[in-house]
Amino acid sequence: MSLTDTAPQARRRDLRIPLAAILVVAALAAPFIGTRYVTHSLIIALIFMLPAHGLNLLVGYTGLLSLAQAAFFGIGAYTAGLLAVHYDTPFYVNLLAAGLVSGLLALPLGIPALRLRATSFVMCTLGFVIIGQAIAKNWISVTRGDMGLSGIPKPYFELGPLSFTVTGTTSFYYLALAVAALGTLAAWAIVRSPAGRNMVAIRENETLAESLGVPTWRYKLIVFMISAAFAGVGGSLYAHYLTVVSPLTFQMYYSTTMLIIVLGGGAGMISGTVFGSLLFVGLTEALRVAPEVRMIAYGFCLLVLVFWFKKGFAPLINRFWNAIGGSK
Amino acid sequence: MNAHLPILEIKNLSKSYGAVKAVNDVSMHINRGEIAGLIGPNGSGKSTFFDCSTGLARPDTGKVVLDGQDITGWSLNRIAREGRMLRSFQKTVTFKALDVEENLIIAGQMFTFPTLASTFGLGKLSRSRIAALRERARELIKMAGLWDVRHQPAGNLSGGQQKLIQFASMLMPEPKLILLDEPMAGINPKIIERVVDTIQYANKSLGVSFLVIEHNIDVVTSICQRVVVLDQGAKLVEGLPHDIIQDQRVREAYLGG
Amino acid sequence: MFSTLLEQVVNGIVTGSVYAIVAVGMTMIFGVLRAINFAHGEYYMLGTFGAWFATDYLGLSYEASIVVGVLSTVVVAYVVGQLVMRRMVGAPAESGVLATLGVALILQNTVIFVFGGGYKFFSGGYIEPVSILGFTLAEQRIIILVVCLLVFVGLELMVTYSRLGMAMRAVSQNVECCGVVGIDVPQVVLRTFVLGAALAALSGVLTAPVNVSVYGGMGELITFKTLPIIIMGGLGNVRGTFVAAMILGIAESLVATYIGLQYRDTVGFATLILMLMWRPHGLFSTQARF
Repeated sequence: MSLTDTAPQARRRDLRIPLAAILVVAALAAPFIGTRYVTHSLIIALIFMLPAHGLNLLVGYTGLLSLAQAAFFGIGAYTAGLLAVHYDTPFYVNLLAAGLVSGLLALPLGIPALRLRATSFVMCTLGFVIIGQAIAKNWISVTRGDMGLSGIPKPYFELGPLSFTVTGTTSFYYLALAVAALGTLAAWAIVRSPAGRNMVAIRENETLAESLGVPTWRYKLIVFMISAAFAGVGGSLYAHYLTVVSPLTFQMYYSTTMLIIVLGGGAGMISGTVFGSLLFVGLTEALRVAPEVRMIAYGFCLLVLVFWFKKGFAPLINRFWNAIGGSK
Repeated sequence: MNAHLPILEIKNLSKSYGAVKAVNDVSMHINRGEIAGLIGPNGSGKSTFFDCSTGLARPDTGKVVLDGQDITGWSLNRIAREGRMLRSFQKTVTFKALDVEENLIIAGQMFTFPTLASTFGLGKLSRSRIAALRERARELIKMAGLWDVRHQPAGNLSGGQQKLIQFASMLMPEPKLILLDEPMAGINPKIIERVVDTIQYANKSLGVSFLVIEHNIDVVTSICQRVVVLDQGAKLVEGLPHDIIQDQRVREAYLGG
Repeated sequence: MFSTLLEQVVNGIVTGSVYAIVAVGMTMIFGVLRAINFAHGEYYMLGTFGAWFATDYLGLSYEASIVVGVLSTVVVAYVVGQLVMRRMVGAPAESGVLATLGVALILQNTVIFVFGGGYKFFSGGYIEPVSILGFTLAEQRIIILVVCLLVFVGLELMVTYSRLGMAMRAVSQNVECCGVVGIDVPQVVLRTFVLGAALAALSGVLTAPVNVSVYGGMGELITFKTLPIIIMGGLGNVRGTFVAAMILGIAESLVATYIGLQYRDTVGFATLILMLMWRPHGLFSTQARF
């Protein structure tokens, strides 16, 4: 499981670079290949990829099972929505603000929550979602309650003399693709850094990590904040894409969806989360599965992942990647 | 930092769990460059004493002074990181899913990266630091005789090999002092020899001081220069290993007299 | 002023009784399995739906619908127990969370898929008001109070004297030893789970005439309300659960009257979070299980 070693010599041809190139081209050409609905499905998958990356850092790398992701997703969505509606700020400001607000709010929420163990921590994080929804419903002067925020403008940019608005589905796709790609890169950078190794150490054995000088408490708090920031960024995209935000953005079902992406794709693996978003969100959206049926399917996915398919698609992705990388 | 001062000094340490006085007013010290032993029957308070000295538990009263610095109340990770005093565990030994090399690199990381923020870096400096750690890890892996299995997940190796990994891990940060909690428990005699060799190598060549809890009396007499005996939470006697094993009070304590 | 307060307290006790019957099953399951059942409220929903189906489609009486509601839930719980809950013995806490979340999704959405997501009207039950000691209460609420007391007395007796009760206590004390002395742990888990689900269903059927509306998402709300109760009661502690349920019931009723109806449903989780911060092991001992 070395993180850096590569095969000493390849006798067979290494197909990884060509494959990566094909994937990049496919991602760029997608709106012209599929229908508009397919593009829409991909956008939804890309939006969910961001909170899922955050959750993967928390669950997959640091080993903390959290259901709070939907709460931070909702906070991000409302932050971006409120800024856009009231102050007419450009998209990137809303996006950064959403990430920042979610990430910073995770600090006071994380301090008490992370003192709890296993199931208690899970329940506390679930509580954040429920209380978040209650606040969104009842703080009517700000959130407009059940009516939600509507009329959130399409993303617009103001870069010096150049300013433009992202209107169509295709252009929004490229925006979401860019943000998701940056998010993926950021997540990758975090797990490849020495801090990523410390996170894995905490997951594997917290006391041992602690005894080797790793400040586990601070790492857990930082990762909790980073994961919330990822969710917030995803929430801002969501708000701008749908142009409405309602208290239903805070729902358990979203947290569950993000968990399925992470666990199904393969926890503790960046490519697993990318794959999981496309498979579990993109595909179900593209197939126009009815919401109830999708949730039933998610329920079965969870059971299968817990009892039979514990590592998700991670081993398959690894094997495939090694196979096309040429034999040793 | 006077060379003649003890590396670790523990003064009047007490710890109670409810009505049970697990450790009662124990004082001891470890000299620079020494291998000291801590023995005593089961339930004599050795482990509690260890936990309180290393920050895993908080002592009720007493003082822990490491290399002239009062570290009472510091957390386990801070004592390790800033004090360079490391400890082993009886059961918790390795990061099982990670390979041997990664295990050692993790052990060294917190000592080469000055701040928490710097651990998130991926730049050239960060890479060169990790490369240096890998270099050192490989040396220690060779020394511990684990070269052939260095890319295997630690969890796949035998209990004895995992103890050696733990041992090598603790040497990564160039520690001042290592506290070992029953390092020989549950490993076969062949590995015991290797662990003994490693302790002596670390002591002589790297200048690491040791405090060892151990039940294997042969090991204690062969490596320790001085032994402290605990019984029922209090210090019973302290002296040279040979005197200790002949001490009547020690025998009675072990026989439950 | 004072009479309103008293009336709200009585209402709170009735609500508390509903929660208590659901929560006691959940806490017993925790006792034997060391896992929180996030799907527990769904059995409450299933019981209600079974009874609604019996009265609305089959034209049965309310009394018969109680039987149909509880029995159909028992069948579902037996299947879930065999396929899922038994596997959770000895599994890490996280697996239990994920598996029961999965079960909740499946049960809830299957019902929505079959019967539609809208609100349904429950028409059975005894809703005539009666006057006792100056209070006016619907008959159904009195039935709920009586059944709740009977359930708790019955459980106390069962846990103390019956074979299953003793096995449950044994499993909750020490799982490893049970294997040694020949107690079939998965079997005890299965029976406890089916019993807990049946109680949740009973609670649902009894409440349906008071709540009037029946819908697929109702179980989730009940799960979220019983979670704080079982934590507050000291996980696995039956008597503590009873007291905690009453406290939450009364607190909700007072909050709804004096602060605002819209805050009622957050009382539980706000309490839960404060609880977890302040006393993670509940107000009552977790040692005094059952």
